Order: sequence, then structure tokens, then C-alpha cells
Amino acid sequence: MASTVIGAGITIEGEISADEEIVVQGTVRGKLDAREGVIVEAGGTVEADITSGPLTVAGNVTGNISSSDRVDLQSGARVIGNVKATRITIADGAQFKGNVDMDV
Amino acid sequence: MALLTVIGRGVRVRGRVTGDADLTIEGHVEGEVDVTGEVTVETGGLLGASVSARVIVVRGAVRGDLTAGEAVRLEDGARVVGDLRAPRISIAKGALVRGLVQTGGIETTLPRAKTAAKSTPAVAPRRAPTPAPVARPAAVAPPRPAAPAAPPRPAPMPVPRPVAARPVPVAVSHAAPKGPPPPVVPALKKGAKAALKKKAT
Repeated sequence: MASTVIGAGITIEGEISADEEIVVQGTVRGKLDAREGVIVEAGGTVEADITSGPLTVAGNVTGNISSSDRVDLQSGARVIGNVKATRITIADGAQFKGNVDMDV
Repeated sequence: MALLTVIGRGVRVRGRVTGDADLTIEGHVEGEVDVTGEVTVETGGLLGASVSARVIVVRGAVRGDLTAGEAVRLEDGARVVGDLRAPRISIAKGALVRGLVQTGGIETTLPRAKTAAKSTPAVAPRRAPTPAPVARPAAVAPPRPAAPAAPPRPAPMPVPRPVAARPVPVAVSHAAPKGPPPPVVPALKKGAKAALKKKAT
């Protein structure tokens, strides 16, 4: 398990930069920069631009996503914003509105 | 909610952290922390923020005021520069504190100037030991001599307040006999006066 967890009930407004994976179950607003990856769990909300390694979303994300690796939008995810990544999966049941840029 | 939130070692947060859960800080947090649960600053954690929570436990470094509804516990290894306010406060052996400590009900209307003046001599001697074991608060230290001009944070500087007291330019002779001024004052006064005189002449 990742050592950094933003638990449900916690709201962070501002800037987060991390050298380790971040699990978001609560709310993050502002900017999120985690090179080791981000997991937005169901119930988690991110209203921020995300710069990350692998990104997995099962919750809500509003903001632009830039990933150096893959982006997985799981069933139940709701994403509004542009996504830039090397690989993207969008599962059945994920809601997504925005542009996709895959470095073709 | 007893949901755990952890700000891990490699993480840096700049901004506001709010909510109704417990919070464990192992990384860096700058800004403001306001939660209804328990805040724990672990060894290696660095908190440059004012904290308000039900219980605050510190084993790392904090620069900012700690206000708890229930208790503040400074454990071995804690380094705090800032004011502590809580009904119950415990400071363990090995913890370093610089700032106003106030237990009991939150009566912020206490004669604050008096408290600050009283705490000044008691706290001042700790300055010497502080820099040695502490790497990061040392970063706090340099601005202190010049503190009256622009302290980085107003709150954790109860000491400079009397130092920066207005009487300096007004009438030093009157201000001096009232009570022993903090050790920093004479140097500042002399310097200031000398500078003023030089300028005048």
C-alpha cells in the first residue's frame, strides 16, 4: 500500500508534490504532482491538474491530466479534462469528457 | 471518521489541509492544517503551518502555532517553534520548544504581554542548544536577529514582540528601568541609537 493516503474526509487545497505513490480517497484541489503515480479511488475527488506517472481513476477528476505512463479510467470514474499519456484505457462505465493526446 | 490520512515521506504539500479525519505527517506540509481528528507529526515530518486539531502529537519539527481542543503532546524528538495552546499539554524529555505555552481553557484574553515577557527569559536560554541538534529550525534561526523588521511568521515570535517595542525610539531611559529587557534589546537599541545619531550629525 502506498505510504501516502489522502483519506476520505480530508481536503487539501494547494499544491502536492510527491516522490511516491499517492492514493486519494478524499479531496484535492489545486495541483497534484506525483511521479510515482496516483490512484484516485472511488469517492475520491481531484479538482486539480495532475502530473504523474501511472494514474488510475475510479473517482472524480476535474482537470488536465498529464501522465508519463498510463492512465486507467476504471468503471465509475468521472473525468473532465484533457488527458495526455502514453497509454490510456477507458473501462466500460467510465465517464470522460475531454481530449486525448497519446504521443502518436 | 477514523479514516487514516498519511502524508508520506516523499510528499510535499503546500496549502490548506482540512477535514474531519486523523492525519499523520511524515513529509512536508506548509500552510495550514485544520482537522477535527488527531494530527501526528512523525519523526522526519516537517510542518510549517499553524495546526488546529483535537489532539496534536509531535515527534518531528513544527514551525507554527499548535492549538488543540483536547491535548498537545510533544514527544522525544519534537522540535516546535510556535505557541502551544490546549487544555492539556505534555512536553516529554528530548522535546524542544520555543514559544508561548498555555494550558487550561482557551482564555486567549490572558494578559498576553505579561505572559510573553515572563516566558522570554525562560525560553531564551534554549536558543543555544537548539541549533546544534536541529538542522531545519536552524533555517528559522538566521532571520531572528533581524526579526523585529520582518519575522517570517508573526505568531511563533513572541520574543521579538517586546523587543520591537515602540519605546525604543521614544524614550529609552523610561522604558529601561521598568523591567529587565530581553537580552537582544540592548544590542539593537545601541545599534539603532548609534545609527540615528550618526545620521543626525
